[in-house]
Amino acid sequence: MVKIEDLKRINLLRDIPDHLLEIISREAQLNIYGKDTQLMTIHEKVDTFFMLIMGQVAIKKELTPRIDIIFDFIQSGSSFGTSALMEGSISSYTAVCQEPCEAITLSGLRIRELFKDNHELAYYMLQGAARQYKKKMDIRAKMIIKTLDENPELKGAVHDIENLTPVA
Amino acid sequence: MVEKEYLKKIGFLKDLPDRILEKIGAISQLETFDEESLLFRQNQEKALLYMLVSGKVFLNSRSASGKSLTLDEVTPGRTFGVSTLLGGGHASTFTAICAETSTMITVSGEQMRQLFIDDFETGHAVILKVVELFRSRMEMHTRQFIQSLANHPEIRVL
Repeated sequence: MVKIEDLKRINLLRDIPDHLLEIISREAQLNIYGKDTQLMTIHEKVDTFFMLIMGQVAIKKELTPRIDIIFDFIQSGSSFGTSALMEGSISSYTAVCQEPCEAITLSGLRIRELFKDNHELAYYMLQGAARQYKKKMDIRAKMIIKTLDENPELKGAVHDIENLTPVA
Repeated sequence: MVEKEYLKKIGFLKDLPDRILEKIGAISQLETFDEESLLFRQNQEKALLYMLVSGKVFLNSRSASGKSLTLDEVTPGRTFGVSTLLGGGHASTFTAICAETSTMITVSGEQMRQLFIDDFETGHAVILKVVELFRSRMEMHTRQFIQSLANHPEIRVL
């Protein structure tokens, strides 16, 4: 169980009414992780939804067998493991604590069970997740537009450009 | 009002139960736009969700230097303006213009959001589709970015 005040520090939960935060608070746990703890592993099932209270988590992928690329740093107030909110999701990245971290966690299995009985909770939490994805997609879209503007010859190499922003 | 048979032609909605499609259909319109009709401009706040039934729509973006790029050619069955379902006043990152005479289903984002609040089961079902759509696109972009980087000559020699 965690305090509602702690949940209100999480961006994804900011529009969720208090009566729903109370349900989440009963299901959530507060955990502390040491530096270099691997919280999620690429290609493995996503079982836990993480909401970071303190610290920094690197989101990374293997570029080559000798090089990892970090493509995002999760900081306090942000969340990851959103796939745990959906059935049968596999992680597309590895998440590692860059420093000691404090995070609120929710069991994916339990939260999906709650979603089946409480559509209001499901609606608000998934709306928060969609807004989070949208924000990241907008940042990437701007980066790609800027890159194509400066290097128009690259447009032919971007095979999925048609899927860049149609949802924005 | 739009019959559910039209909504079932839209990839984004086709798996939703009839009960939910009927509710969405009740607040939707079927409209036809002439070639070169401007649906909305870049940086303008979008009010409608668009689902293309026939025709073609270009999504163009003007960069900071003023160059215009066509980011997408939307074909029948596809949707754009999805972020209007999230509220929060998102300004569009592109201009939408009909490349040919186009028929599309339009629905007010505000009315859809009200429907979600009035019927959370519908809200849950539709927002889950939005999250799945966004997530798959994010993963696709990340995958392509990683692949491009891995093929970079300076990386390949490492």
